[in-house]
Amino acid sequence: MAALAERSPDGAEAEHRRTGFGLALSIDPRISIAGLGDADDLTAGERRSRVRLDDGELEDRWQTLSGTPLRARELRSDGVLLLSVDFDEHAGYLMWALDHGRVLISPDGLELLCEPDPVNEDWASILAAQALPLAATVRGLEVMHASGVVLDGRALLFAGPPGAGKSSLAAALVSDGAQLLSDDAVALQLRQRGLLAHAGSVVLQLRSTEQQRLPEDRRARLGSPLRSFTGKHRYMGPSVPAAAPLAALFLLERSSEQPVLERLPAVNPFELIGSTFNLSVRTPARLQRQLDVASAIASGELAHRLRVQPGVDATQLARVVREHQTRSPAS
Amino acid sequence: MTEEKTDTPTMVPMTDTELLAARVRLPQHVVHRSFVSETVVLNLRTGKYHGLNPTAGKMLEALESADTVAAAVPALASGYGLEQQRIRDDLLALTRGLLGRGLIVTADGGTG
Repeated sequence: MAALAERSPDGAEAEHRRTGFGLALSIDPRISIAGLGDADDLTAGERRSRVRLDDGELEDRWQTLSGTPLRARELRSDGVLLLSVDFDEHAGYLMWALDHGRVLISPDGLELLCEPDPVNEDWASILAAQALPLAATVRGLEVMHASGVVLDGRALLFAGPPGAGKSSLAAALVSDGAQLLSDDAVALQLRQRGLLAHAGSVVLQLRSTEQQRLPEDRRARLGSPLRSFTGKHRYMGPSVPAAAPLAALFLLERSSEQPVLERLPAVNPFELIGSTFNLSVRTPARLQRQLDVASAIASGELAHRLRVQPGVDATQLARVVREHQTRSPAS
Repeated sequence: MTEEKTDTPTMVPMTDTELLAARVRLPQHVVHRSFVSETVVLNLRTGKYHGLNPTAGKMLEALESADTVAAAVPALASGYGLEQQRIRDDLLALTRGLLGRGLIVTADGGTG
């Protein structure tokens, strides 16, 4: 395949310019992060977060801390530690992920220093899954733990507990013409008028059962198949949508009823706050922004409840969402 | 200097009369947002959230804009169609609760 790479004056390949989670990124060419946007989407003059490989600096910085870092987050499964985040106000956030390595994110989110696990060629997946959303949070965006699509120029987000069907619903909508924002984390930018949703990585991960439910022709619209990962089928979306105004947040909930979709004028604010990502970032600025975003979602009447029967066909749900959106006036 | 991260500051007891005559305000590190179901009050220093029901949320707004705690009573009583004495009692209890959690301070910077 033909390739064109920008070079710096010394002949080395220049850093790749990308966008993701509302951030302008400059990425070491040796690091491959699938599904990010092109640099052309940028606002002129925006400061870039630099993603680079560590050359021993990370350990030096972390070992010379003046105090004991705070363990801000731990994620375990069956007692096994999968992910941790330690925080030091000067060094930043040190993220460790099992079989992936470590990433040190500076306190201002402008630098991500990566120490990959040498035997895992997919180590960089931790960047799109966890490290970039954390950097975005530090840099002033609010990242929702949600899948999301752009439909008719409007962003729709789907939040809920693990296994609620967030990715499947996004996949069903994408297979019917919507564009994927992300299947797990969407960055929201608070503006004077509403919220703007920014794409994360447009790599979609689907369980086999969900993948097989989609007819072949609709599956093809999910994008290019990538190598399966942790037992899930992966597709890279054909394009990364531009940021779009948030039109609705659907809070998925298990139910024994047929799919029910209702607007939530009196949404529980703590359900909205609990649907955000990176709860380990607890700076005053972030805490206030988190509350402001929840307030904007509530006051804009963007929150909806989507009750879902276990095992329901995601294409049926997608139809319910589409019909609802057709009836909802664009704000 | 390290800031004290507590929601329960030491209280200097005030009589009802003293408290009614006091002006209260939110410290800079406390913010609140109103939702339909409740008002969320957030202490940015501690990261602790507090929920106020709609009536208490209205009282907090009234306290913020009134010159004294007592001055907030007539409009609230009128708005709820209740006797001023009842509103005064509720408002004093709420004010003490908020002061006790460090979510408001008296205008001289005290915690009541």
